[in-house]
Amino acid sequence: MTTAALETPLRRGTGYWWASYVMMTRWVLTQQRVLFIGVVFGQIVMGIGAAFMYKFYLGSLDPISAMYLVTGIPALSLIPVGFVLVPILVVQEKTRGTYDFTWSLPVPRLAPVAATFTVFTAIALPIAFASTILAAWQFDVTLIVSWTVIPFALLSSLMATSVGYGMAMAIPEPRVTTLVTNVIIFVVLLFSPIVIPIERFPDWLATLQRVLPFYHMANLIRSGLSEDLTTDVGASLAILLAWTVVGWSLVIRIVTRRG
Amino acid sequence: MTADAISLPLTIRSGPANWWHSLSAMLRWQLTSMRLLLPLLIVVQMLVAAGFSIGIGLFFEDLTATAALYLGTGAAIITLIIVGLVVAPQLIAAEKEEGTYDFSWSLPVPRSASVAAWLALSAIISIPSMVMALIIASWHFDIRFVLSWSIIPAVLLTLVCGTMIGYAMAHAIDQPSLTQLLTQVVAFGVLGFTPITYPLENLPPWLQSVHQVLPFYHMGVIVRAGLTVGIVEELWLSYMVVLAWTLAAIAVTAFVLGRRK
Repeated sequence: MTTAALETPLRRGTGYWWASYVMMTRWVLTQQRVLFIGVVFGQIVMGIGAAFMYKFYLGSLDPISAMYLVTGIPALSLIPVGFVLVPILVVQEKTRGTYDFTWSLPVPRLAPVAATFTVFTAIALPIAFASTILAAWQFDVTLIVSWTVIPFALLSSLMATSVGYGMAMAIPEPRVTTLVTNVIIFVVLLFSPIVIPIERFPDWLATLQRVLPFYHMANLIRSGLSEDLTTDVGASLAILLAWTVVGWSLVIRIVTRRG
Repeated sequence: MTADAISLPLTIRSGPANWWHSLSAMLRWQLTSMRLLLPLLIVVQMLVAAGFSIGIGLFFEDLTATAALYLGTGAAIITLIIVGLVVAPQLIAAEKEEGTYDFSWSLPVPRSASVAAWLALSAIISIPSMVMALIIASWHFDIRFVLSWSIIPAVLLTLVCGTMIGYAMAHAIDQPSLTQLLTQVVAFGVLGFTPITYPLENLPPWLQSVHQVLPFYHMGVIVRAGLTVGIVEELWLSYMVVLAWTLAAIAVTAFVLGRRK
């Protein structure tokens, strides 16, 4: 009995966690190649596409509106990755049964989750910035970039993927998840002050948007790309951190339960 | 092989009565299998319909009467198209993913009856949403609609065209995840880049030309002609384009459903 127990390597500690995390990152990357083409495509469409969409609706743009539009693009481009593509990934895994397989692997349960977040963030951020630069050039806007934009964008991406993952894990019926992602896209594109000042919204909607994460993503990233356009950056930071915690607690609650 | 040795226990499954019976059976089957999802779907569609014109209205600093009319009618038209074009293919993709798809096709009903049942289902979801969108828009933007008889063929043709395009797409593509992705792209294209909720002139010339060929702009034209007077021209051309797309989608569906595995 004692000898058998000694021969089994210890499966814990930081080193083991790190090794599992690296392996799971490779696993996520190879498993989801097709989906990543979707990520890239969806992001370009949502990011740069939405900017043009608003322009078509509005007909013409003054310089301040153009500035708002361009600095809203990183948020617009990160939202579909976290809130749509990550849930689609989870739904697919659930219906195909790979979900149970992944959980049966001898790695810490949060390693595959962390790996998913890493992979999606690594793909999403460069494209978000490329779209923004392209849009700045297209709409003739000069950005005032500060270093804070990098941690702010990282936090936004982490928050979006965490909440998207947690949501998709918590909802048992995949079709409901699909429906919810559709609703999120709709709310984001039409009812969120991402590319316009929040003051233009009626009070009740502005209040609601100060609770939801979308406005705060835009506000936070905008503060790193411009001057004098943003207020209450600290509040946005706090609310995004709170949403990240909500996302992670959902994930942790579900992945660590047994049965 | 004498004739009386076989075929006696079988009743002949053909003719209009059987078709009609199959249609109602399939519709009941679809409504039952979606009984949990359907109310949610209708509520979401109604919210989308109601919210669309109001939401986009927020982005304007000051909204002109023409822009409001485009938004109000456009929201209703988009609601009509989006169910058949986006929601329905997603449901079929989910069936393929779950494996119930093959089961549905093994049922002893004419395939055209299944298609007709699907169209009826699409109408059940989208027409109430469209009415809702019109009521909301008329209240929110203070628009007075001028209804004409042409609203009936226009709505029916648009509904059939949108649903059949979505249906053909969902059946023709084997990979459910690709269908899911494509429907998102289509939804985005219809919402953002189609001159249904804004005038055609807001688009760059090349995109205007693209929309002369695609059905969506023309769907907007024919339905709007039944709701308002004055902002629609070249109606017959639009009817022809939508009709051509409907026939093409039916042909693709017939081909896909008719082939054997």
